[in-house]
Formats: sequence, C-alpha cells, structure tokens
Amino acid sequence: MRWTNFSRRSCRGFFVGSAYGLLALGMGLVYGVSGIVNFAHGDFVSLGMYLCFALFTAFALDPYVSVIFTVPIMIALGALVYRFLIKPIAGRQLLMVIQLTLGVALLIQNGLMMAFGGQPTRAPSMIESKLFLVGDVVIRGAHLVACIVSFALAILLYVMLQSTDTGRAIRAVQQEPRAAALMGVDVGRVQVMTFAIGVGLLAIAAALLLPGLPIQPTQGLRFTVITLLVFVLGGMTNFVAIMLGGIVIGVAEAIGTIYMTHTLGQLLPYLIFVAIMLFRPQGLVWRS
Amino acid sequence: MLEMQGVTAGYEGVPVLRDVSVNVGRGELVGLLGANNAGKSTLINVISGIVPIMSGRLMFDGEDISRVGAQRRVELGLVQVPEGRHVFPQMSVRENLLLGGYNRKARPERGANMDHVVSLFPRLGERLGQLAGTLSGGEQQMVAIGRGLMAGARVLMLDEPSLGLSPLFVQFIFEIIDKLHAEGMTILLVEQNLSLTVRHADRCYVLERGVVAVEGASATVADDPRTRAAYLGM
Amino acid sequence: MRPDFWPALRSPIPWALLALAATMPFLLPNYYLHILTITLVYAALASAWNIVGGIAGQISLAHSLFVGAGAMLASALLVKLGINMWLGMIIAAAASAAMGAAVSFIDYRFRLGHLSFALITMAFAEMAEIYVTNTEFLGGASGLFLPKDKGDLLAFQFGGINGVYWIMLGMAAACVAVNFAILSSPLGYNLRSIRDNENAAQAIGVGLLRNKTLAMTISAVLTSIIGTIYARYLAFVDPYLLVSPVLTIEIVLFATVGGLGTALGPALGAFILAPLGEILRGHLGGFLPGLHYFVYGLVVVGVILLMPAGVWPSLRDRVLRKPAAAGN
Repeated sequence: MRWTNFSRRSCRGFFVGSAYGLLALGMGLVYGVSGIVNFAHGDFVSLGMYLCFALFTAFALDPYVSVIFTVPIMIALGALVYRFLIKPIAGRQLLMVIQLTLGVALLIQNGLMMAFGGQPTRAPSMIESKLFLVGDVVIRGAHLVACIVSFALAILLYVMLQSTDTGRAIRAVQQEPRAAALMGVDVGRVQVMTFAIGVGLLAIAAALLLPGLPIQPTQGLRFTVITLLVFVLGGMTNFVAIMLGGIVIGVAEAIGTIYMTHTLGQLLPYLIFVAIMLFRPQGLVWRS
Repeated sequence: MLEMQGVTAGYEGVPVLRDVSVNVGRGELVGLLGANNAGKSTLINVISGIVPIMSGRLMFDGEDISRVGAQRRVELGLVQVPEGRHVFPQMSVRENLLLGGYNRKARPERGANMDHVVSLFPRLGERLGQLAGTLSGGEQQMVAIGRGLMAGARVLMLDEPSLGLSPLFVQFIFEIIDKLHAEGMTILLVEQNLSLTVRHADRCYVLERGVVAVEGASATVADDPRTRAAYLGM
Repeated sequence: MRPDFWPALRSPIPWALLALAATMPFLLPNYYLHILTITLVYAALASAWNIVGGIAGQISLAHSLFVGAGAMLASALLVKLGINMWLGMIIAAAASAAMGAAVSFIDYRFRLGHLSFALITMAFAEMAEIYVTNTEFLGGASGLFLPKDKGDLLAFQFGGINGVYWIMLGMAAACVAVNFAILSSPLGYNLRSIRDNENAAQAIGVGLLRNKTLAMTISAVLTSIIGTIYARYLAFVDPYLLVSPVLTIEIVLFATVGGLGTALGPALGAFILAPLGEILRGHLGGFLPGLHYFVYGLVVVGVILLMPAGVWPSLRDRVLRKPAAAGN
C-alpha cells in the first residue's frame, strides 16, 4: 500500500514537475537574452488561467481549446510589456528591474481581483476526471497531458534554438550581444521576441496546470517562487537542467508531505533551493 | 566607395573624433593607425552605426548613410570584425559562420560564402563542429573574420586582428588579409602595429587624439616624423 | 554631498515638525489617526529596510522575518509563557539581530551576487511563513490574540491609539534619524562604496562582512521592534499579514517610490502610498477589492519609469535646482 502511494505521488510529482519546468524555461530564455528576472512571471500564469476561465464562462470553452486564443493574446501582451515598461530600464540596476516587475505583478494580480473577485474558482476540463491505470498506479489524464505537452514544447523550443536562424540569433544575443549586433541581429527585437515567447509559453503552461486546480488572483507569487526555484536549480539557462529541476521540485513537493512532518514537507523545496543556491550556484547539471 | 566627411562623433555628447575625413576606395586596403585611445575603434563604430555622428557626413556608394541604422548597414555590406574577436563561445564554428550570414542580403549566399571561408581557412573546415569557445585565439580570429565574410562584406573592417596572437598566427592572418585584398575585397584595417600595417596597406591614416594627424601612401606615412610623434603622444 | 547629522539635529525644523505631528491625536478623528499610525508603521519599516536595501544596495526580501519575529515571537512569549512584552520585544530583537547576522554571513561566505541574495532572502521569507503557520507556539495559522490594552505602560500597553501613535511617531523619527546618522558616518560611506562596487570597496579596505553585518543587524533590530509595537496595536497577530513576503514587497516598493538610499525618501514613499492605499481600501475595498494594490502597482511602475531615483531625490533636485546626483 505504501509503495503504491509512493509511486502514485512520484508520478504526480513528475507530471506536475514537467509543467513547472515549462514555466521556468520561459524565465530562463528571458534571463539569458535580457538578463531580466521577471517577478511577475507567476502573475502572467494567473492571467493565462483567468483568460481560460473567462473563455469557459463566456463560451464554455475547454481550457485546452482556449489556448488557441490565450497564446496570441499573451504573446502580444508580453511584447507590449517588454517594449514599453521593461525595455526603458533594462540594463539598469537589478533592483529597478525587480521592483518594476513587482509593480507589474501587483497590476496583474489586482486587475484580476477587480475583474473576477477574490473567491477561489475553477475552469473544468473535459478530461479532468479521466483516469488511466498503469500497473497499479492511477494517472490522471490532465497530468499526463501536462507532461506530454511540456516535454513536446521543451523539445520544440530546443530544436528551434539549435537549428533555426531565429534560434541562433537568440543564442547569439545571449552569448555576445555586441557581436550579434555587428552581424546584423536586431538585439532589441530579439529581446522583445523572447519575452513575448516566454509569456506565450506561460499561456500554455497555465492551461496545463488548470484542470482540477482552484484558482485565485493572489496565487501569482506562489507560481513565481516555484518558477524561481526551478530556474535556479536548472542553472538559469540550461534547458535540460531546467526541465530536470522542474521534476525535482515537483517530486520533492509531492512526496515531501508523506515522508516527513507536514511542515518539513512544505519546507523541502525551499531547503533544496537554498542548498543548491549556496553549494551549486551553477545549477544541478553543468556543461563540461 | 566609403567616405567620411568632416565627422565629429563621440559618446554622450563628448566628442572623441573631431572633424575626421577618411575615404576608402573600392578594392583598397587602407590602414588606420594610432596609439591607444586615439579614436580608431570609435571611427569604425561610427561606420558600423553604433556611435552616432554629431556633425559631418558618412557616404557609401555615393549615398549619405549617416542616419541609416546599424542593422541596415550590415545589409549594405559594411561589416566589422570586432576587436577581441567576440565569437559566440557556446556555438559551434559552423553556427558562428551561419550566424554571420544572418542578415537578409547574405542569407541566400550562405552556401557559397561558407565554401569560400573554408577554402581560406581549411583549419576551420576541420573544426566545424567544435564549440568556438574551445578554439585557440588564432582560430577564433579566423572564425571572426570568416563570420564577417559570411555577412556579405563589401567593406571589411578589421579591428586589431593581430591583438594577442602569436607571431606565427599574426603572419598567417596578414597573409589572409593580402589574399582577400587580392580578390578585390575593400578592407579598412585598424592596427596599432605600424611596421606590419604599412607593409600591407595601400594607404594609411594616423589618428592622434581624435584627429587625423597624417595620411597618405603607406611608405610616406611610415617615413613621416609626425607618425612617430603621434605614436609617442608628443 | 553628505547630510550633516549633528547640525540637522540642532536645527529647530525637525523638532517643530515632530511637535506638530505629536498634536495630531487632539486634532484628528480616530479613523484618520488610525491611517496616520499605519503610515508611520510603514514609514518606519521602509526607513529601516533602506539601511540594507537602499544605502548598502542589498536587495533583502527577508524583512518579513524580522517583522514576524518582533510580532509573533514577542506576542507568543507573552500569551504562552507570560513573559513581559518589553522583555519579549528585546528577545525578539535579539533573535532578529541573530537572523540578520546569519543572513549577512551566508551572503559573505558564499559571495552571493545581488540576484542570488534577493532569491535566497525570498526563500527564507517563504520558509518563515510556512514555519510560523505550522508552529502552534507561534500561533499557527490562526494567529494570536493579545490581552486587552489597559494602558499599563509596564506591560507594553499604551492605552489605545493615541499612545501607539506617539510611540510609532517616535519610532519612525528614530528610524529616519538612524538613516541620517548612518549616511553621515563612515559606515554610510562604506556601505555606499559596497553598493556601487563590492570589489573596489574591498580593494580600498572596506570590510565587507563587518559593514554588511552591521547594516543588516541595525536594520533587523529596528524592524523587529516596529513589529512588536505593530502587533500590540493590532491586538490580533495574523501571520498571513505579519510574516508574509507580501509585506516585504510593500516595504520595498514604498522605499523605491520615495527614493532608495536617501534618508527621507523611504518615509516619504510610505507617506504617499500608505494613506492612499488605506483610503482606497476603506472606501472602495468593498466592491473593488484589490484596487489599492492596483494603484500601488501603477504608482510604482510610473515612478520607476519617470523618476528612477525616486520621488524625494527628484523633488529635492527640482526645488534646489541642482543637477541630479545619482543615489544620494
């Protein structure tokens, strides 16, 4: 019995963790290109979820279908936010960028609060209650979808970065922005684009995390913190390590609560985070 | 082909170059000499569109490009190979070269340009899959020049290509420069190394504290006492 | 230009302002006095944070730890063990000083960059909230109720809002004065050189560990004491308010809006935003919850884009017509 419980938990942790990984990929991409850590990250996730919720209440759209609309909306929003709010202060003191994104976080969080109220709510999906049995482990459909889509997107993103001109331009700006500009890469455009892509990814991640999850406007900071944990665990820009970091956090969160006291279980992800930050600041995996 | 007419330019309102006129004819190899901080790098950054012009004009192929953006200038064929090489360290040599051909004009020619670069630098051909950050300084300089050629350079601006290289590599790089020159490439060569530059360049300019101190055919510039003075900062 | 501490202290202007402020309980109705008291709490907190976050440029997101210690620990000692709250305040301040010193030591020992420091302190803040809400002694998730305020000064009771107002006024003035004192002392010079360039500061002989620890400890002790007084004022000690990372974020935003690294800026930021927030919440919170934070967000984004140095330095430079000096 205990074993089943353990494997069920680990599976859940693994699946949810892959979506966490996706959240952090967006952050890693933006950090690499613009050196910006976006403290409104989790609030963009919130926004993505509430957009799904709005589409569900208005047109009874399934969150997975809503993505068709939420992704372009969020991409456009990301581009606007970067162009008009972040770009003017990019390259200034880190504190300024952190403050500004905290300001944006307040705007999104409380904009949602004013539009939808503070009560927890849900946007159900048709596959929410679907269950699969693998051996004696029960897997929820939504978790399986989250995992598959997250990995598919991570791979797609990786291939895009490795083998398209746009991807190479993004990596060039990450590594040597000045030389990239001398080769005719529009650095400003690449920065806007990556920020927009990062926010667009969040729209997808939001839909993946949504089924079965009660949502609240104030949840953003929690997602930001989870993303930061994964982001640091993954050494900030290494894609493979970030996905791995997502899984570590997801599993730690899921099984921490059954093998330890409640408090310690909740603290576990943060303890891991602090330990990694102090003893392996380059992340879990590193290039040789 | 490229003509700088009475240009004053600098950073944040402080002029580094004052009333500088420089011209580079088609197919010429022009040397730009001067001590540290004489304004050599600023001058090619003005041509690249990174440092704004305060007054004066920059003409290219008979057109005023003073207000043209940096990206567009790369497309026009004004390509800079920066000092210190600045290759993309986490990308393979091939990717570095492909990125060189990123701009719209150069993209269709990437295949042919790549062949040309590999024929110039067979050593890069052997290392196409290697990460550029793991190459030696001389090999990185080859990547940087190759990247510039991939961008479809019509005027290749080399900023201190010999900096920090072993004498053997310096000699090799200058052989390549001669070869490109012989193929008809227009080259603006920024160098601190006076004797080496005057041996290879057709004409030279010597900058001293932001103004042109000496100009003329390489041999006369080399013999001009003012050149020495400019170098010693007297 | 360094502000001169002692001449400023001898000048009649701050004392006259303080005396004027002290008459407010006789002039204002209770509702506005309450808003003013809350504003003083935030002004004091923002000024205390400024020592670390502004003057030394260390983006600490862990200050809810110190507010929490001051509020929860001192309250728990009183409610659970019957320890006098004055003593509790001192114990909590000592605990905060120890935590502050530990954070500084970790920062020094592992040579954390600005980003890592911000992230680690944020993790500490999250952990503190989880720990407190799960610890029965500290009131757990439901918080603690303090005994009724009977005005017994020896039992840390100030006799209602008037007393708390005066105490908070003194505390806020003290925090601003400490900022002035630090800015005009060698410590201030050291901290600013650390902020501008840590390596260069070290190269000219500024001790990183000593100065950072000193700044963090002073800031932590002040913050903790404010926390204890605030707890006494609220009477109900709610961990989701007092140990919440959101509290730190508010403090940081107030300080930024007012002007980081200046002695008066953070307090000014609190005086702009806190009353605005309280009034918006009081009048419109019923049907538009979140509006006051939304307005905070607008102000923060607007100030950062339009007056990146903050409101106070911009005002000062405009009034004194001198070219903008960065930072101080």
